[in-house]
Amino acid sequence: MLMEKLKVLHVDFAGCEGCNVSIIRAYPKLMNEIELDISYLRDGPPKYDEYDVALITGGACMNEPRILEELREIREKAKVIVAFGSCASLGGILRFARGGQEPRPDHRNFQPINSVIPVDYSIPGCPPTPQMLQSFFKFFMAGNESRLRLFKVTAGLKKLSGFDLIDDIVLTGLCIGCGACELSCPTGAIRLVEKRPTIIQERCIRCGTCYIRCPRASQLICLGGEKP
Amino acid sequence: MMPIGENLLGQFRGVYLARAKDEEILKRKVASGGAVTALLCYALDKGLVDGVVTSKRVKGFEGKAVVARNKEELLEAAGNSWSIVPFAARIKAKIEEEDLKEVAIVCLPCQAQFFGQMRDFPILETDFGNRIKYIISLFCMGTFAFEAFLNYLRVRYGVRAENIKNIRLGREFLEVHHNGTVLAIPLKEAFSYLQTGCLVCTDYTGLWSDVSAGFVESEPGWTVLITRNARGEELVKGAEKEGYIELRDGSHVLGDILKRAREKVARAQRNMAQLF
Repeated sequence: MLMEKLKVLHVDFAGCEGCNVSIIRAYPKLMNEIELDISYLRDGPPKYDEYDVALITGGACMNEPRILEELREIREKAKVIVAFGSCASLGGILRFARGGQEPRPDHRNFQPINSVIPVDYSIPGCPPTPQMLQSFFKFFMAGNESRLRLFKVTAGLKKLSGFDLIDDIVLTGLCIGCGACELSCPTGAIRLVEKRPTIIQERCIRCGTCYIRCPRASQLICLGGEKP
Repeated sequence: MMPIGENLLGQFRGVYLARAKDEEILKRKVASGGAVTALLCYALDKGLVDGVVTSKRVKGFEGKAVVARNKEELLEAAGNSWSIVPFAARIKAKIEEEDLKEVAIVCLPCQAQFFGQMRDFPILETDFGNRIKYIISLFCMGTFAFEAFLNYLRVRYGVRAENIKNIRLGREFLEVHHNGTVLAIPLKEAFSYLQTGCLVCTDYTGLWSDVSAGFVESEPGWTVLITRNARGEELVKGAEKEGYIELRDGSHVLGDILKRAREKVARAQRNMAQLF
């Protein structure tokens, strides 16, 4: 059966290019299913007026009206918005922006995309792997909402980090000591001490991976839809 | 608060009752049908996997991650669903140390969720979901906060951790086998020593597994197998075809499983209401 390819737009805001590289790396295996409109592969403005999916990477600089306006335009153009990577979905390391830092950023206030426009799916990760994006599209195109639930729920959240994991799961006594968080932290900020996670504060980049990988935390947010 | 129906048993393909055909497995495994061990033997013998990662009780309630590559090693680790969850990092280390390419993991629903999510959604470059071929989760009503529980066993009953041989779940009692005798503790009493995290958990069977396994009281000597996808279904059917397990339809026990699953969700709701 010949299916029309999904039209997918990629737009990058403030970020480190890690997520962009991930998307580019994922593309060869997605070419049969999606047509990716990404700035690296074209000259000039986006090709179409409407898209099935927009992948947004990087956080929104709240001091730049132009960026906020552009985000609203993308929301109009795309049926589905996917915040890809921790900055776009949860603020990530951009939350540490203090303004005037070398070499960038100039401004202080960066927020996840869902602070500006409604987001349909948020995929944390710093950066998420290319395989993650391929998986996402596999389940998305199959219409498998139950598998994608976690990302749908995450799209409604603005902040998840190692600190939230400690607050919501460890300090409440809900941790069962499985060690999923330790294994999921890209910076090694979480260590199990006395069978429970502890956080090395300076290392947590607020990517949220530990939170959505914690079986208890991810089960809870998927059930209730609200963070405790 | 939560969509109960959807969360009880998750998506599944088939529900079966199974029993190992191998005498040796049956002899060592009296609580249920030994079907999980038989499935894993099949997978190892036929080269479907190059190792099985599971936990083995070392002392008291403490478990450690072990890799089994043949029937003997499997039998040594089998038969205990009460083991404490070994750290995920140790499981990863085991898989990497032994350079396993395709493993089966036997675990609890929470771990199945972690491994399942990792396999479906590999967020990190260091993820090893591509090495996990089968996730088999065991029905679970919770694990013990074992420091407190062991202390309680010692103070109240004079039972020391190092003397505990086995722990089995009965209809109304938790049977602690130690020093040749059996101590029967009323379930209600024992359940107050479950981990808090388990008390808010809603997953009885392991929604993220390929095959969920457990037992129901109405079918003693048989293992209930729930297959959740083509991969799980092929494993079970293959093991039957090759004569590793005896298999029959299990749809009549679905009600029993649902009852337990519902109990767990209800308990979680009660406890969540208290916590948050």
